[in-house]
Amino acid sequence: MVGPLWFVGFDSLMELVAFVIAVAIAYQALRGYRLTKQRTLWYVHLGFAALSAGLLIDSLAGFLGIIARTLRGAVVVTLVGYEIYFLAQLVAYGLLIYAYVSHTRTLNTTPSTTVLASLLGFVALQATPAFPIRLVGPLVEYHPIPEIVLLLLVTYIAIQTGVNYSTTKDQDALFVFLAFLLLALSHLFFILQPFAALFFVVGHVLQLLGYVSLLTMLVRVTTTR
Amino acid sequence: MTQKPKYRSQMRIYVDIMRVIQREENHAKPTRILYGANLSYDRLVKHLDELKTLGVIGEIAEGDDRFYELTQKGIEFLNQFRAVERFAGAFGFVI
Repeated sequence: MVGPLWFVGFDSLMELVAFVIAVAIAYQALRGYRLTKQRTLWYVHLGFAALSAGLLIDSLAGFLGIIARTLRGAVVVTLVGYEIYFLAQLVAYGLLIYAYVSHTRTLNTTPSTTVLASLLGFVALQATPAFPIRLVGPLVEYHPIPEIVLLLLVTYIAIQTGVNYSTTKDQDALFVFLAFLLLALSHLFFILQPFAALFFVVGHVLQLLGYVSLLTMLVRVTTTR
Repeated sequence: MTQKPKYRSQMRIYVDIMRVIQREENHAKPTRILYGANLSYDRLVKHLDELKTLGVIGEIAEGDDRFYELTQKGIEFLNQFRAVERFAGAFGFVI
């Protein structure tokens, strides 16, 4: 996906920053898993590890696209980068949803959202980013179906984290809720980008803010005694 | 989401015991730990032995009384656990 020409490169840079944050979150989850052997933390670790890999690949593909000598080469590289990133997000959000579902099951309650998660997983498996819709010009690749799937998945996680915040009123939980809410909004803006190129920029800014919110939580958690 | 699990994991029992010791200004009698961590006497003895083997608590004899205290390793473990607990709690997971 490509937005306004002046934004080329900034999106990759933002993804690189998000990659570093995702690695930090994955590392903290791994530390937690090693200490407690809590499976949900293992899923969080795997989820953020997948996200970080996807972010890095998409970011590098973006930079490679900039230095590619041909337009066709640039489109192919960025498209492959996006497809890998999409799959990484699918795996990551799927793992996080599984963590919530399995955790709720451990607590001996039957969540109504479990059915929704299964349905979303099914829809996600049906979706393929291999056929993006070309809207305006060769550089504007539009992926509505994958982005809608990701929006649904991340919305589920945002709801779970929102419920957690509403019951605990804890600031760390608020930052996690905000993060997933911002990520959901970013996917919404990616879906809406054909209506205005600026939506692509807004989507990336919201995505970065989501990761910054996660970083804020991480810093608070690891530094406050 | 934040509902507590029905049964405590072994890790949670260890942490509960260590937190009682910490609350008692790092000098706790077995009876205080027993009530604070909500354990039966047999289980308390078993877990205290395990924690001593792990090197996170130490036993001090003062006359006929026995006291338990956290070792440096135990204090570090509790600090690490607190960060992990907050991290997991931020996502809505109870350890």
